[in-house]
Amino acid sequence: MMNEVIQTSLARLQIMKAKALAALRKGENYELRTELNSEYKERRKEAVRRVIANMTVGKDVSGLFTDVLKNMHTDDLEIKKLIYLYLINYAKTQPDLVILAINTFVKDAEDSNPLLRALAIRTMGCLHVQEVLDYLCDPLRKCLADANPYVRKTAVMCVAKVYDLNRAVAEENGFVDAVRGALADSNAMVVANSVSALSEMSAMAGGRGDVWRLDTATVGTLLTAVNECAEWGQIAILEALAEYRPASEREAEGVCERVLARLQHANGSVVLTTVRLLLRYEQYVKRADLLAQFAKKMVPPLITLLASEPEIQYVALRNINLIPQRHPQLLSKEIRAFFCKYNDPIYVKYEKVDVLVRICSGSNVDALLNELKEYAKEVDVDFVRCAVQAIGRLTLRHEAAADKAVDVLVELLQLRADHVVQIAAVVLTRILRRYPRSQFAATVVQALCEHADCIREPDARAALVWALGEYSEHVAGAAGRLSGVADGLVEDDSGVQLALLGAVVKFFLKNPQQGQQLVVRVLKTATEKCANPDVRDRAYIYWRLLSADPAAAKTIALSERPPCRDDVPALPEPLLAELIAELGCVSSVLQKPARQFVYARTDRAGVPRGVAGANDCDDDDDDASAHPAAPGAAAIAADGEPELLIAL
Amino acid sequence: MDSLFILNASGAPVLEKHWCDDRAVRRAALVVVPAFARYLGSVAALSDAEPVWGAPHETVCVHIQRKELIFLAIVSREVPPLEVLEVLEGVVQALGEYIGRLSELTIKENFVTVYQLLSEMVDSGATVTTDTAVLRGLVPVPSLVSRVIENVSGIGIGPERRPNVNTSSTPWRAQGIRHASNEFFVDVVERIDAVLDSGGSVVSYDVSGDISCKSQLTGMPDLTMVLNRPEIMDDVTFHPCVRRRAWDAERTIGFVPPDGQFKLASFHVAMDASPRSLPLNVRAQSARSDGVHSVDIAVDPGQCNGRPVEKVCVRVPLPQQAYNIGVQCKSGTHTVATARAPQVEWTVKSMRPGDRGLRLRITYLLRDSGNSSGNGGGAAAPPGVAAAFVDFEVAGYSASSIKVDALRLHRESYKLFKGVRYVTQSGSFQVRL
Repeated sequence: MMNEVIQTSLARLQIMKAKALAALRKGENYELRTELNSEYKERRKEAVRRVIANMTVGKDVSGLFTDVLKNMHTDDLEIKKLIYLYLINYAKTQPDLVILAINTFVKDAEDSNPLLRALAIRTMGCLHVQEVLDYLCDPLRKCLADANPYVRKTAVMCVAKVYDLNRAVAEENGFVDAVRGALADSNAMVVANSVSALSEMSAMAGGRGDVWRLDTATVGTLLTAVNECAEWGQIAILEALAEYRPASEREAEGVCERVLARLQHANGSVVLTTVRLLLRYEQYVKRADLLAQFAKKMVPPLITLLASEPEIQYVALRNINLIPQRHPQLLSKEIRAFFCKYNDPIYVKYEKVDVLVRICSGSNVDALLNELKEYAKEVDVDFVRCAVQAIGRLTLRHEAAADKAVDVLVELLQLRADHVVQIAAVVLTRILRRYPRSQFAATVVQALCEHADCIREPDARAALVWALGEYSEHVAGAAGRLSGVADGLVEDDSGVQLALLGAVVKFFLKNPQQGQQLVVRVLKTATEKCANPDVRDRAYIYWRLLSADPAAAKTIALSERPPCRDDVPALPEPLLAELIAELGCVSSVLQKPARQFVYARTDRAGVPRGVAGANDCDDDDDDASAHPAAPGAAAIAADGEPELLIAL
Repeated sequence: MDSLFILNASGAPVLEKHWCDDRAVRRAALVVVPAFARYLGSVAALSDAEPVWGAPHETVCVHIQRKELIFLAIVSREVPPLEVLEVLEGVVQALGEYIGRLSELTIKENFVTVYQLLSEMVDSGATVTTDTAVLRGLVPVPSLVSRVIENVSGIGIGPERRPNVNTSSTPWRAQGIRHASNEFFVDVVERIDAVLDSGGSVVSYDVSGDISCKSQLTGMPDLTMVLNRPEIMDDVTFHPCVRRRAWDAERTIGFVPPDGQFKLASFHVAMDASPRSLPLNVRAQSARSDGVHSVDIAVDPGQCNGRPVEKVCVRVPLPQQAYNIGVQCKSGTHTVATARAPQVEWTVKSMRPGDRGLRLRITYLLRDSGNSSGNGGGAAAPPGVAAAFVDFEVAGYSASSIKVDALRLHRESYKLFKGVRYVTQSGSFQVRL
């Protein structure tokens, strides 16, 4: 009896296990297929949702294509949208089966609900399948002439997709002409979308202008439309206008005046695109008073951008960084707006400091130095370096700032915070090199010697050694200090070794009695024991020079050197012009021209995809070698991830 | 914009939407997003990641971080990144309005709505609209009621409420709106952004504000708002409903309002017109003796037309190694957070002008951090308190002294009930130590 019960339950268990395994084998797709074919509407709806949910997390549900299609006939707009989404995703893998959906599409494109008409035409365009193209032409033609502007503006965008798929079809059916005609549409949104579509098609055709060229009459209608359409349409129109070459000076002035109001838009992108247009038109407008007026109007909106989210601030700052290189005085009064807040993200702080140095004028340099001193007391080591270096750059630019800057730096040295001392020492000697015989040499060298025990990093020590050699008369015990450095000469960093060679030679030439022993010791060690060939070579040269002709050595080693220059990486003029022309775009943010990073898509439309891919790579390699990147760009490239080579 | 990914904080995709061809989709999903995730892992803090990042394969990653989610757009063409950032911001706003609190879970639960919204907002990579008023006409808001009905009965109530598009000359306002009482409320909210040095004097100072309205008006009203000193606003941005011409000619704001809540204008006040007196004077000092660090903060009421300053809150973030934190204050309440980021928060409900100033004293000890994290192994910067953040609110006071002089109604004959409120708040108000 007992045995029997156990037997049956074991058998049952086995059956259950088998069932579970079968379900697992068939997987979720099997279950979904049953559900999609269910007789109950709500179960089908739930199944469609689950299919899409699986699709979004990257599971392959393409096997359910026909089952999903069966559910396309429905009044439920939500389900319809989801199925359309599914089609867009999988149409390319099953182009033959898409034909099954065509009937519903064509019917929907004639529905009484404009929303549905637009949805159908948009989806058909997005399918991006040659097979659909023949069936798309008729509905598209009707939708382009639809009474409802929402449908028209969607249809206009669809033309660009058709053009991408097959240019001949788009041209022969007069779709491109229809879009050109839509530029005169009564609804501003349709006009804006036509501009986007035409710009896109023009880019596909290689930007040669045979798709679209603006003329005076069209510019007039665009200028009217730009005030009426939504922000995104405004951007498209402003971009198109920025590319336009006005026929006359008068026209250029007119365009500028009419887009000025766009500067007062809440959307930062509209503002920046307008600024780009104005900067580009500077070459066409000749009247100085107008130019000054335009430039003045740009400032408040740019400042307002600095109160937005940090991400927007960052992009705005990268762009603002370019403007003072063209208009040095424009932003100098607004310096306080660029002061860092304690909780700004680090990338915003770096940009702010860089902009501050660029826009500072002689009159507010004191305020800025005080501000930079505050930053130098912060905790973040890298930002502190950046702030102290900014003090140096500022001083190299404005001589009036030198006294105050030296005071600030000496004050910072007295904090005796390790990282501040290192960088401050380097910056101080840079200032001495720029303003060599000035009255503060003594202050600087004495301050450096006072904190010599903290000066640790090779750069900083090289700077100290240089200063000791150059201004040995200002400090007591220079010989002793140099001799101390010479003790560790062999193991030292090559930068310090080179600095020491120069320093002892100068010291010897100024004080022959005191320095003789030292210079012989250093030269001997350097030539015999140092591993670095540069150090050995320089030591030999000094040695021969000193033994052959001490007078000549004096003229060479103690000669006046050209003052060191401001090291702010200024962009070369052609690159700057190119970046200003692209202000607000990715290139001006990365500070390298578009051709170096943009995925070349211009000549791809007609070429089979695999071939196009191979060409892309070749082109880009050529470009990268032909155009040296800007300093900033190089840094970004170096920081970036190593290229991943996955065959796509 | 080629693709939009919503990633969680660890860089794993929660949802993706593409507007490009197959090859670019695979490139984005297989190469660019993992590379971006590694980039996120390589920066010190998530918030340090640059919003525009040059990614492999000639693409550019533009992202924003909101509510522990990362909204990442992948771009392979020359576009204004600001446009992409604004779209992402628009997506966040719209999603927030539709599904409430954004999180990995809510996005997954509401993916149907999210997808519908995304396909309405961006069409083949070009932005169509981010205006939630327009979107509401295109995609129905999943209301709680409809969700409950659907969950219980399994049947949606979709088809009978067909969404429709408004294509009139005032797309922001539908025809035939009716309200029992006609009311229009205006909130002038101003924010003071300021950086003070430890002595309490102003390093940088900025006033910006919004004019927010709530409109419950019947029909197609046409309103004109007159401000007392429009000339001191140096950068004004308006809701699309405002007629530029009236503003340019006579500095009045003429508009047909949308129904419900909307932001009529935002403005920024010219620097030279800014009053130099602050509602609160704050001084902060830090000191150290015998290894005990201390921070002293003094808050004195300033000038704001005799209005009380409310909701005063001072936040002092302390260094990570701080322990044994002590707080002394005679009034207000304080909380001390000792978790990963130690912080003292001190709140005072209200301060009236003429009140005695309030004092706060914080003392703490610093744990020896062992080997300092600075490069080179030397003694890095001694960690200290660098800034204190102050929040406050003053009702009935306008820092820029902008007032609404008049609000006139045209085109409709009913009587309009109007109300105007002024509030000045702290924006980013910080004191350096």
